[in-house]
Amino acid sequence: MATTKTYEEERAGYYKVLVGLLVLTAVTLIQPTMFLENATFGVQMLIGVIKAWMIVMYYMHMKGEKLIGASVIFAMFLVAFFFVIVMIDVNHFQFGDVSHITSEVTSAGGSSATDH
Amino acid sequence: MSDHPYVPEIAVDREGNEYEVQGWQGDFFGGKFGFWLFMLTEIMMFGAMFMVLTYYFTLHHDDFINASASLNRTLGGFNTVVLLISALTMGLGLLKMRHGDVKGAKLMIWATILLAIVFLGVKAVEWTAEYNHGVFLGLPALQGGLPESKPFGEIMFFGMYFTMTGLHGVHIIIGIGLMLWLLKRINAEKVTPEHYILHFNLALYWDLVHLIWVFVFPYYYMIGAGLSTGGH
Amino acid sequence: MSKSYLELGETHCAIGHPKTAFWQWMLTVDHKRIGIMYAAVMFVFFFVAVFTALAMRIELFAPGAQIMDGDTFNQAFTLHGVLMIFLFIIPGIPAIFGNIVMPLMIGAKDVSFPRLNWATFWLYIFGCLVALTSLFNFNITEGEVLFNFADTGWTFYAPYSLNTGTNVVTTLVAAFILGMASILTGLNFLVTIHRLRAPGMDFFKMPLFVWGIYATAWIQLLATPVVGITLILAIMEKYFGIGIFDPSKGGDPVLFQHLFWIYSHPAVYLMILPAFGIMSEIIPVFSRREIFGYRTIALSSASIAGIGYLVWGHHLFTSGMSDIAKTIFSFLTFFVAIPTGIKFYDWIATMYKGKIILDSPMLWALGTIITFAIGGLTGVTIAMVGSDIHLQDTYYSVAHFHYAILGGVVFLLFAGMHYWFPLVTGKFYKESTAKVAFYLNFVGINLLWFPMFIAGYLGMPRRYFDYLPEFEIYHQVSGVGAIVIISGLVLMFYNFLSSWKSGEAAPVNPWGATTLEWYTPTSPPPLENHSKVPYVDFGPYEYHHAQPKVKFDLATMKRID
Repeated sequence: MATTKTYEEERAGYYKVLVGLLVLTAVTLIQPTMFLENATFGVQMLIGVIKAWMIVMYYMHMKGEKLIGASVIFAMFLVAFFFVIVMIDVNHFQFGDVSHITSEVTSAGGSSATDH
Repeated sequence: MSDHPYVPEIAVDREGNEYEVQGWQGDFFGGKFGFWLFMLTEIMMFGAMFMVLTYYFTLHHDDFINASASLNRTLGGFNTVVLLISALTMGLGLLKMRHGDVKGAKLMIWATILLAIVFLGVKAVEWTAEYNHGVFLGLPALQGGLPESKPFGEIMFFGMYFTMTGLHGVHIIIGIGLMLWLLKRINAEKVTPEHYILHFNLALYWDLVHLIWVFVFPYYYMIGAGLSTGGH
Repeated sequence: MSKSYLELGETHCAIGHPKTAFWQWMLTVDHKRIGIMYAAVMFVFFFVAVFTALAMRIELFAPGAQIMDGDTFNQAFTLHGVLMIFLFIIPGIPAIFGNIVMPLMIGAKDVSFPRLNWATFWLYIFGCLVALTSLFNFNITEGEVLFNFADTGWTFYAPYSLNTGTNVVTTLVAAFILGMASILTGLNFLVTIHRLRAPGMDFFKMPLFVWGIYATAWIQLLATPVVGITLILAIMEKYFGIGIFDPSKGGDPVLFQHLFWIYSHPAVYLMILPAFGIMSEIIPVFSRREIFGYRTIALSSASIAGIGYLVWGHHLFTSGMSDIAKTIFSFLTFFVAIPTGIKFYDWIATMYKGKIILDSPMLWALGTIITFAIGGLTGVTIAMVGSDIHLQDTYYSVAHFHYAILGGVVFLLFAGMHYWFPLVTGKFYKESTAKVAFYLNFVGINLLWFPMFIAGYLGMPRRYFDYLPEFEIYHQVSGVGAIVIISGLVLMFYNFLSSWKSGEAAPVNPWGATTLEWYTPTSPPPLENHSKVPYVDFGPYEYHHAQPKVKFDLATMKRID
């Protein structure tokens, strides 16, 4: 791999990314009790995406990789499509009244977080 | 396969210009591209698994939050940091290898192996605690239709939790095996600062393992974190 | 002077330097030899599955039980489906001709990872063995050995498959191993096509078969991992009682169908795309004309692969999917017909004013235009939600599937076998026998499956071993068709085998083709293919006055036109 950077520069890059990832991990851990408590799931996934982006770009040397980048984007698109369709399907569940799956949920809905 | 050193062939066009032919031998980009394609299959595999998870999260929202609240965030968070640092050591190892410091590279690989073992150890402690609380694959609490069964959603949550963290753990174990093999190859001087594709791909693999954890961790440990302050 | 790759010692091996021909074949990394070994194994399974199908046809010749009971019938169609789909047609054309021809076509010496290619072949063999053993199931209870055989159909729908005594988990393991082999083949081909094209050959100078393989390889790579997940979840359900697909434990069986078809539907395009590639090779050569609309054919392969990922839900119209998802999937499915139609018009336009030579490869290709058109268009009718609810799980969908896969994929595989037979073996088959075999097959397929469209439309369900008397006539016509097509198949393979042994020697490039795989110094080609890697500054199908425009000195691969 042709690189113009020196060893020290590259090492500094690794540490910078490390600090960024550690900060984001800290945010992950405190977020549910500190801010945006109603949107925990969304915030957590957003942080995950940012971390993943940093890892892919810097640790996995994806910057400037056109062919590989396009392949990854294609794969991500497919996963996203599977998600969207299956989510549309499950959000329009039409058999809630008769389904065994959902009726059990309502009867068990009262269970608490302190089971064990 | 060929015992002779590989010399690229030259193709000549009609004007007499020469073009070097890319052979399959010593093709660094080819090796890298091939490994990325392999990693795409991992992305599809875990992607489909997250899809199943999201499917049941949608159907059993409250059960999932409750179950998530009962996981041990201290140990999980600790493991996240361990894995994060191991990704750094792996990357630094590759950097040292590329700049000719073979000894330093080997040291960094050993450090990565050590951190991976720490990760597995913490995982084992976590699973043991869960087993002692009666929450484990095959125990009555995670079987549908019994009096002591948990609600459907929680069964699904814990079932997927053990499946996915288990699968992730298998990837870590495979990674350790591959790193030991890499050390062997370095000692045999099959992996050198001039010819380090195996080291490069293994670093990619380790980043992928880290990448999966980046999503596994919040999805299981953090979605219900607002309900309790962690731990059992 | 270089020797043919079939001669003793003319191969590189994965391990060591064996002296005997047997070990040289077992350990070979030569893409051509590996392709031949794939073909040999696949056609053994193919004929086992064909004769299983014949047994089912004999059973159905009259109402009531003839030669087997209902349970045996269920096991027979499961065996037929598993062998045909997972062992034969999914690896099918990519593993045989993708291996043999694709590197030759792009001027490469081998695939990018030759050792991986060898390992993949043996992974495939291992997967075949697991698949076969998984179909047999021994239950030892109270000292008594109960024997049963998988009867779930090749789709293994949960929860039935997970609750019966059959080894569905092992079968899924087999599907995963075979899938892994398929992934690695695809990966190898993708890197090969990206890295090892001869200098000057850009993507739009590649032969169209390579385009087909390229699109297929992406499907192999990105759809197959989903089987792995289905397997892991099935294991969780079967051994740990998590009940991911079992409604009595809170799971959703429709989710199993989603996951299964997310893989298995793209798998259908994985079968057909390289077959279309073979068609695109044969039509210009035997019309002596440049192919019409090269770019549209190439890009339609890519778009079929792309759209093919997005349409799996049309298998679930009667499974309890939500109405909005049904509508989306029905709509998306129609889109597949557009690039397919473009290909068909391009092929027909290529033949217009061409100098058509009716040799047997061309006959097979032309026959396929008819049979696949029937298979494809009936597919559009059942892509509509309304008509699908009537026709789902009837003989109509069975007939559609077999017209599309046998009449499309397998027919084109046979076309390719006739076309590349002189390349692979260096011999000619007997043309007159080949023509008779083609007509037997062509008449046979129509006799066998066309009546099923009518029977299915009138309500004959699939997978039944008995039926009402009014369907007898359709089953009897089908039975006759089965005999005709099997005699055609046997005749064709007899022709191939006897010609390989004692056929007339074929010169280099006997068909007057323009693509690089024919320009090798010997017939059949030597170990590392072309004598020199050519510089490619010409299109793949350039004809001038019905003769190939580009000519090579085969010893130096310099252009001499």
